Amino acid sequence: MKALKIILIGTLILLIGVTAVFAGGKKEVDVITIGVNAPLTGDIPKVGEGTKFAAQMWLEDINEAGGIEVGGKKYKVELVIEDNESKAESAVKVNTKLITEDEVLVIVGPQASKQAVPSGEVANNYETPMVSPWSTNPKTTKNRPYVFRGCFLDPFQGPVVANFIKEEFGFTKAAVLYDVASDYPKGLAEFFKAAWEDLYGPGSVVAYESFTTGDADFSAQLTKIIRSGAEFFFSPQYYNEVALIVQQAHQLGWDRPIVGSDSWGSAETVELCGKDCYGLFFSTHYAAAGARGATKEFIDRYNAKHGYVPDDVAALTWDVMHIVEEAIKSCAELTGDLKKDRKSVRDAIAKIKEFDGITGKMTFTEDGDPIKCAVIVRISDAGEFEFYKSVCP
Amino acid sequence: METQNSKSPTEKTNVLNTIRNSINKVLNLIRNYFSEVPLLGWFIGTLTAVSLEQLVGRLIALSLGLPKIPVLFGFVTILKHPYLIPSTILYMLVIYILPIVSIARLTVPITNWLAGKLLVLPIFISVIIHLGLLYLIMHLWSGISDYRVLMLRFILIAVIATLSLNVVNGYMGEFSCSHPGFMALGAYGASICTVVLFVDDSMFGPALLPPAIGPFMFPIALIVGGCLASVGAFLVAIPSFRTRGDYLAIVSLAFTFIVKSLIENLEIIGGARGLSSQPNWANLPSIFICAVACVWIINNFVRSTLGKALNAVRDDELAANVMTVNTRRTKMTAFLFAAFWAGVAGGLLAHVLRYVNPGTFGIQKLAEVLAMVYFGGLNSIQGSILGAIGFNILSEALRPLAIYKWIIIPSMLILIMIFRPTGLLAFKEFDVKKIISPKQKQKKEVQNVIASN
Repeated sequence: MKALKIILIGTLILLIGVTAVFAGGKKEVDVITIGVNAPLTGDIPKVGEGTKFAAQMWLEDINEAGGIEVGGKKYKVELVIEDNESKAESAVKVNTKLITEDEVLVIVGPQASKQAVPSGEVANNYETPMVSPWSTNPKTTKNRPYVFRGCFLDPFQGPVVANFIKEEFGFTKAAVLYDVASDYPKGLAEFFKAAWEDLYGPGSVVAYESFTTGDADFSAQLTKIIRSGAEFFFSPQYYNEVALIVQQAHQLGWDRPIVGSDSWGSAETVELCGKDCYGLFFSTHYAAAGARGATKEFIDRYNAKHGYVPDDVAALTWDVMHIVEEAIKSCAELTGDLKKDRKSVRDAIAKIKEFDGITGKMTFTEDGDPIKCAVIVRISDAGEFEFYKSVCP
Repeated sequence: METQNSKSPTEKTNVLNTIRNSINKVLNLIRNYFSEVPLLGWFIGTLTAVSLEQLVGRLIALSLGLPKIPVLFGFVTILKHPYLIPSTILYMLVIYILPIVSIARLTVPITNWLAGKLLVLPIFISVIIHLGLLYLIMHLWSGISDYRVLMLRFILIAVIATLSLNVVNGYMGEFSCSHPGFMALGAYGASICTVVLFVDDSMFGPALLPPAIGPFMFPIALIVGGCLASVGAFLVAIPSFRTRGDYLAIVSLAFTFIVKSLIENLEIIGGARGLSSQPNWANLPSIFICAVACVWIINNFVRSTLGKALNAVRDDELAANVMTVNTRRTKMTAFLFAAFWAGVAGGLLAHVLRYVNPGTFGIQKLAEVLAMVYFGGLNSIQGSILGAIGFNILSEALRPLAIYKWIIIPSMLILIMIFRPTGLLAFKEFDVKKIISPKQKQKKEVQNVIASN
């Protein structure tokens, strides 16, 4: 008993002592906190990794410059990167925590629409600006003045692909293979179909085949597409499925073009797909190979640091971080009253015109969606994403 | 410590034994010291603690060098800033542990007397008083931050979902994997009700009823969602109850996938894009009421004759049948009943997120609910409550660790399965009267009983 008492009292004294030491180091007041809501674990950890790395690279730059200058005063910047486990509930929790606990000025993320839609609601309710670099669901920003995004929308991308094929190949018969269970491929497949039928009339999409997330065998759908007499097929899938689809199509004897969308733009696509993907086209936000200027600088830095060429998520996050930076800089002053500051940052983002990012020039519409150009990329014979042409709205 | 290696094995076990004994001694001491504190005493202690936090929490936190009040018992801060550990522990001591412990202990005579008085009243009045206190505690605690409110809402929903799965997996002894499917049905059922009737939406057009009466109709929407889940359960029950064990698990897993695919292909309710713009009616009080109703009803269910029959079916279906238990009906009722509550949980979840998509109700959700049930304990109400709270707080607290979290939580589950195969608090009866009654062995009461006899 005596020993217990001594231990207890000893610990208490130690605690107080240690606290006293650390309590001395007060937190600085002039800090801007920026929240990043990223899927570091879960279904798409590669996306979370790209987000995190790009955001950290941006922070390095800011730290080198000594912070962000607002109204003649330098502010230090702190990033709070939180994991949303690629789940809607967690993304909502993370956003609430960032806003109420970490008291961030602005949130970057979440990336996937299934998290961005409910999180956008939270951000809008708390009047905190949020910019999702990658979410393409119109609901994310619709009627939410505080929510923005960094990428073009599917209703724009669908026609871009359709027009590109018309001009490039002059094909008239299209086929589509997409994942019916996943929100992004499904939406894009529909927009592409509508755009193609606008060009060539109903019936010009000769095969419209679907599968479900997690399927690994596409031979039934591919056989149908081959038999339908389509001249090419469009498959707006994620990198893991792209490899399987392309390889299986080639095994079944398909030798015509396969066209993809921005979800192909991951560093993993070529790694998994190999030679089968060489020579194929897809539409995306930016092209890594043959990039110039700021884009090249970003790619080289990222590659040197993390050992692979950044995908579109990283590039878009990088752009969004700079949009946020510019918006904060253009505020007249930061009052320290979060509500006011958040409002002024929000207004500043909405006012941004012709922002020159590495994924193209951006101007925000009233809905918080950017007007920007799409890039058509060809996968070169060395497996690199080569710039082919640029399509503007 | 260094000398331990040189000691012989017997000496080593001796040392270990003494350590274990002394730990047990201390634990017993603490247990004995607090054994006389009734639930009311704990509640009053906690109430004091949370009020204290409201009043001076900020001041104390700042003076201890913390940036602000540690929101989730400090877990979130200390993982990111380990140097704040001592201040956080001190804060917890000053604000929570000391007030709760001292007040709970000091008020023993008063609270026991009060609890005894309350017991004289009809049981539901004293239960309502206790619940009122509990809600007050939650309200004050979550008053510090909206993050806490959100956490509580998710935890209470998890309690409902876990309890409903426990009816099937614990009390009935089957292994059902269809809970995400039921939750999805409930979520969509309730959402469609509220969105069609009370919201001007681009998908379903203008509201059919004035939104002002909406909040009062919310329970009905939840019940509709629950009933829809029950109908789904009925459909899966007919073919699957010819099977048991592994086969039922597979059939019910298939059901989850069917529901998911069905919703994905139903364009009219949004398909894979999901359904949004649910009204914000699932606030803390309404979820609290639902959770209390759920605990109360499920507890009554499992303690009824039907519940006992359910246990009999679990232990030996054939024997139960011989003992005149209508096994088929029993299993069916329990399954539909559990599905109903899963549906309610889904409906509430949809109204907290204010967005549902079929992807939410997949294998990941199943793993989560199953983990909560087996973590907390089979066949026990307390177990499910503990499982839901523990799992949620743990997973929130470990969030900063990102990928390591998915090593720590599963390893904890493995450890629990090894050392307590049925969960932490398994096979316990939830006796409300026993829980709220005074804990002091009152001589007076005994004398009264003798006298009245």
